[in-house]
Amino acid sequence: MHPRERSQNQLSLGHTPRRIGHLLPYLIVAPPLLLLGGLVIYPLFYNILLSLRASRTGEFIGLHNFVRAFTDPLFLASLRATGIYVALALTIEMIAGLALALLVYRTVQSGWVRTVIYLLFIVPLVTPPVSAGVIARLAFTPTYGLVNLLLRIAGILREDVLWLSTGPTAMFAVLSVDVWQWMPFVFLVCFAGLQGVPMDVVEAARVDGASGWQLFWQVEFPYLRALLLLVLVFRFTDTFRVFDHVMVLTAGGPGAATEFLSLYLYRVAFKFFDLNYAAALSLYVLLVASVAFGLLSHLLGREIEA
Amino acid sequence: MRRIRIGKVLTIGFVLSLAGVYLSPFYWMAATALRPIADFYRFPPSLVPERVTFEAFTSVLIRRGFMMLLWNSLLVSLGAVSLSLLISMLIVYPLTRMPVSPRVRQGLLNWILSLRFLPPIVVVIPWFSIVRTMGLYDHVLSLVLLYTVFSLPFGTWMLRSFLLEIPKEIEEAAWVDGASRIRAFFSVVFPLLAPALLAGGVITFALMWSEFMFAFILTATPRSQTFPIGVASLVTQFQIIWNEMAAAGTLAALVPITLLLLARRYVLVALTFGAVREKS
Repeated sequence: MHPRERSQNQLSLGHTPRRIGHLLPYLIVAPPLLLLGGLVIYPLFYNILLSLRASRTGEFIGLHNFVRAFTDPLFLASLRATGIYVALALTIEMIAGLALALLVYRTVQSGWVRTVIYLLFIVPLVTPPVSAGVIARLAFTPTYGLVNLLLRIAGILREDVLWLSTGPTAMFAVLSVDVWQWMPFVFLVCFAGLQGVPMDVVEAARVDGASGWQLFWQVEFPYLRALLLLVLVFRFTDTFRVFDHVMVLTAGGPGAATEFLSLYLYRVAFKFFDLNYAAALSLYVLLVASVAFGLLSHLLGREIEA
Repeated sequence: MRRIRIGKVLTIGFVLSLAGVYLSPFYWMAATALRPIADFYRFPPSLVPERVTFEAFTSVLIRRGFMMLLWNSLLVSLGAVSLSLLISMLIVYPLTRMPVSPRVRQGLLNWILSLRFLPPIVVVIPWFSIVRTMGLYDHVLSLVLLYTVFSLPFGTWMLRSFLLEIPKEIEEAAWVDGASRIRAFFSVVFPLLAPALLAGGVITFALMWSEFMFAFILTATPRSQTFPIGVASLVTQFQIIWNEMAAAGTLAALVPITLLLLARRYVLVALTFGAVREKS
């Protein structure tokens, strides 16, 4: 058969090929989706089943594990610690990142300086959390630590601060790692967003005599809003489930001062071996994450459309 | 005019010194890794190492046998990257290039994006008991599968945005010339997609290389532990050997930093799922 004829056949004629052609995309997508379903959906159902049973006896106890969470002081404490962590990390990262982006965007015009800045700030962003933990460990250790060392050189400190030994300072240490790693993310995204603001609009505003402050709120901010929202939701989900660098740096201590939700769940599941209770708690965590995602897809709905 | 220029130089200086301060903790880790352990205990510590040695690196890799962990990390990351690129392609191509109901397309893409928001701790608890019953506990395969799932949202969305940029007409021209869909894909679409696939692969590899929580919970012995787990074990042991800990931390960071500096144009695109366009 001549190739041209065959392709024509496939495109328009013949009942059977067309029907198969109709189903073909679904047939290709099905196997990977089944695999995904097995790896994600099945464990989630498994989690629900786990959460409804008692860990010792394995008997069905209904929603007892879910109710128990409300009177579990350790859970409530971890919830509170997570709340503080999320609120502070988000506020500092968003404000500092945006401010830095504006500063660099307004003052640095040269292309290569911008590239150098981009490359320098991308390094903490791609540092593995474990290495960030090691870095923080070396920064906050009493005598050898960089923080105490620099504070001594500057004459601010006489005696070493034991950063990881008291609750508030340990919280500060853990937070500083998050800010160190992720403020550049906000900065770089905002910077990219600012570069997307049409020049003629900015020029027009300038000609009309807009001050720097007005220029930002009236002209640039509307362009940035969607991006800021996206970054905010990403940072919320990631700080809400923080685990890695905290595990390495403080392991939740001192006491339970930095025992955030994921760390507490880890302890319940793998130190107390109460997988059932941990499953119930993890469903609460899932609920919060789902709300965050729902919010994002609602607000950015138009951009998600194919 | 002159004042403006001075102001500009000052701000550039400020930003660059901020970047310097920003990277100083990183420098401190590398410097500690290069010091002999005796210099660690000297007071006050010098800002620049006076003696440089690679002892800590060789000690970590050979005496502690972390070479094995590097190998595991390589195996797991490569496995997850190949699997996830393959699966992403199998999902994205039919959804964007074949007649599919828009509701299915949008629903599926949306669902895959939602995996980005799935907290790992939620999956790891049931996964732990499932893996135990299947005999996959402390086995690299369980990590490969999980890493594949967690790199899918990113792989799928990146592939989608790259595929959308390749005009359909090119492919259709190949069909008219008699190429089958598969042939047209491999001889026309794939070569155009290759650079983006490479970048995506590199970024996925770096992210999976850095993963900590799953490996921490699902592995127990050097048979399947990845490098980050080795690093963490050096931090949490009773008596920390500081220069070895720093050396391991440096090694763990070196791989993703090198890779991501190579794929730097795509890092932000990847982390924001295409909301930020690629940087030239």
